[in-house]
Amino acid sequence: MEIHDERIGDTWIVTAKGRLDGNASAGFADHVGRLIENANPKLLIDFTGVDFVSSAGVWAVLVLSKKIKSAGGSLALCSVRDSVREVLDVSDFTSILSIHPARAEAMAAMGK
Amino acid sequence: MTRPETRFEANTLATSDAITDLTDQIMAFLSDHGVEDRATHHTALVLNEVLTNLGTHGGCRDRAAKIAVVVEPDKVTGEIVDAGPPFDPWSAPDPAFEVAPSERPVGGLGLYLVKKFSSALEYTRRNDQNYTSFAISRRQSAE
Repeated sequence: MEIHDERIGDTWIVTAKGRLDGNASAGFADHVGRLIENANPKLLIDFTGVDFVSSAGVWAVLVLSKKIKSAGGSLALCSVRDSVREVLDVSDFTSILSIHPARAEAMAAMGK
Repeated sequence: MTRPETRFEANTLATSDAITDLTDQIMAFLSDHGVEDRATHHTALVLNEVLTNLGTHGGCRDRAAKIAVVVEPDKVTGEIVDAGPPFDPWSAPDPAFEVAPSERPVGGLGLYLVKKFSSALEYTRRNDQNYTSFAISRRQSAE
């Protein structure tokens, strides 16, 4: 999995590409986790290039969500493919995730 | 004997690297055969989760599992044959959905996804091997 990060204002934008499976999820969570160690972190994960998410990937996103929530920050996801969205829906985690069609909507929702 | 073009077969260890390789292979195979994104993803997901469970809980990382996937007009079918201890995926407990998502303990999600996305999930034990078969509809969500 390829991970690219950039900072715009006070928001980290992570663009992931590839498969978020048991092999990639721990590295993904570690990489992104290091970006959000400050107070009130803001994080947008762009899923445009993510074509596969397993349960391990779902847990990685959940771990990041919990970390951000405990630090008083905010997390948004955007451009999630239908098949990946269905995994998140069935996992019953979409109720605690802020998911948007595209980056602009996600940034707007995060108060940019 | 010539294999039908729409059949994929592989022998795979239940290690993280091998499972990732299989995911790559099966998604490429299904995509090349015109299978829709949803069925492609969920077929790869079922294989990934069953093999991950085998490697993590079945103590069977060193013996290859046999994988077969067939593309049919209305579904994709698959079978996993492994030499791990007896394990029926239907016997796996579901995640603790009574607990709030943010507090829910880890565990049970992978096989829950297998059960939810498979339109037919069957298990038999023969000759000291597990036979797990499944089908993924090529229609949109059956839910």
